Amino acid sequence: MMKKCLFLLLICGGFCLPVDAQDLPISQIMIDGEGWELLSEGHQFTEGPAVNHKGEVFFTDVPTSEIFKIALDGKVTLFSEQANQTAGLIFGADGKLYGTSIGGKAIVQFDNAGKPTAITEGVNCNDLVVLADGDVFFTDHVDGKIWHVSPDGKLKEVAAGIAFPNGVIAWPDQRQLVVSDMKGASLWNFVIAADGSLKHQQPYSTMQLPVGSTESGADGMTVDSIGRLYVCTTLGVQVFDTQGRLSGILSKPQRAFLSNVTFGGPEMNYLYATSKDKVYRRKLKTTGVRFTR
Amino acid sequence: MRNLTHGIMAVLLLGCSSLLFAQSKYEYGPDSQPQEGVPQGEVTQYRWEKSKIFPGTQRDYWIYVPAQYDKSKPTSVMIFNDGGGYVRDNGHSRAPIVFDNLIAQGKMPVTIGIFINPGIIPAEQEGGKPRRNRSFEYDSLGDLYARFLIEELLPEIKKSYNLTESAEGRAICGLSSGGICAFTAAWERPDYFSKVVSYIGSFTNIRGGHVYPAVIRKTERKPIRVFLQEGSSDLDNLFGNWPLANEQMAAALKFAGYDYQFVMGTEGHSGRHGGTILPEILEWLWRDHPETLNANK
Repeated sequence: MMKKCLFLLLICGGFCLPVDAQDLPISQIMIDGEGWELLSEGHQFTEGPAVNHKGEVFFTDVPTSEIFKIALDGKVTLFSEQANQTAGLIFGADGKLYGTSIGGKAIVQFDNAGKPTAITEGVNCNDLVVLADGDVFFTDHVDGKIWHVSPDGKLKEVAAGIAFPNGVIAWPDQRQLVVSDMKGASLWNFVIAADGSLKHQQPYSTMQLPVGSTESGADGMTVDSIGRLYVCTTLGVQVFDTQGRLSGILSKPQRAFLSNVTFGGPEMNYLYATSKDKVYRRKLKTTGVRFTR
Repeated sequence: MRNLTHGIMAVLLLGCSSLLFAQSKYEYGPDSQPQEGVPQGEVTQYRWEKSKIFPGTQRDYWIYVPAQYDKSKPTSVMIFNDGGGYVRDNGHSRAPIVFDNLIAQGKMPVTIGIFINPGIIPAEQEGGKPRRNRSFEYDSLGDLYARFLIEELLPEIKKSYNLTESAEGRAICGLSSGGICAFTAAWERPDYFSKVVSYIGSFTNIRGGHVYPAVIRKTERKPIRVFLQEGSSDLDNLFGNWPLANEQMAAALKFAGYDYQFVMGTEGHSGRHGGTILPEILEWLWRDHPETLNANK
């Protein structure tokens, strides 16, 4: 019987085209009548939206070193005033909030009172991702490098030579890393080895550029549960499918710099966006992922 | 277990029945069937994992060597993208059978077929999905895929086979993204590839390939011959409209004075029509090769 099945598979393999012909247009994730909704304003430069286990979203105002929390009811409260120009934020599988402190040149972990403790110091950092097993990867746009901090705190350079590595995220399976190049058109993919080193660097996706520009303006990224990649760029949120092909571009919430996005809300189906002085969200027909086991 | 396998079979049949059993007006002719007395070539499967141009990729490939192959003679070569689909005797194109028949009839030169699958980049750690490299390799414009063939895979194959050194004896074929890939390889390296076959080619905006018709019109003609097959029921999606894109390609090739053929059928995104006419395509493609001319003197 199994042989027969294999035979059928072979026949189908001959006639059916690869599933690659299938496409994921952004119309599949957009909901009629659901656009960007303003959640918070009056800030200077918002960044680093990060979702906790409840679906609450934290964000930073980089110049003021403040971190705010958006509750599930939409209420915005101050979480920390000691962020020392933290730009990137993400919750680890341990439930702790991690950040990249530009002012402190450190990767930090915040306690429940909003007090940061450095886990790595003396680094140029921009954005970060924390995987379920505690591996931290962060971008260093000053030197064009990617760094890894192992769960036991060892710092190691794992990639170099990218013009302006800005956003960093992992695939939902946490086995491949993606880095956005703000000064170029490429999204760089890497295979993550067990020791945290990165292999097989590839410009897997090409972003659409504004007419007349060679720079994507790419910044923060997030992924959804089927593996779509969402990238903040000058042109809007560029959405890529699981083969690295551009699916489409969601409009920016306002005519201003778009720094970062993350999925949040109790059902993880709202895309939260930080853009200069404001924070927005919009409901989508998909759900985000947390890097848990 | 028995029920489970039945279930699997049912799902497979449902998934494929429309393509498997649908009435198609495109039927396979005698040149796509094994013919008595026609010498059969040999197909051998290999694996390539050493690419530096596509680092970390793994892929299968097959080499078809015709019975008439003479290792003392430089031999023509034809590359097939998504090779696994072309090389199978029950696949959409049955290329080895077609080669056997056409070579025996002197309608094409003695030609080694190289059938290459796109790469995947496996995850290093457990539970990871592979990075599928097909779109990157096939849909991207530029010379990367041509260089992968010219600098990496063909030199490996040349260690064992006497392949021609002339562009006249090199063709490349593919369908869908593999179709635009075949065109791109020849467009970038017309010094190396002179013949292109595309079925249902993705000359659409998957990774910018929709620009070809405009670029062809404004670029000095290159010494490449192009066969395009397309179907009026083909895809219309976020990347573009396949029938219109292929019409545009054909019009641009005509405008720029290319030696081309364009066949518009009625199928959707399938290799069926192109597969059934592969004998005619190959005859047209190789019609003035010295070996073909000699055989028909």
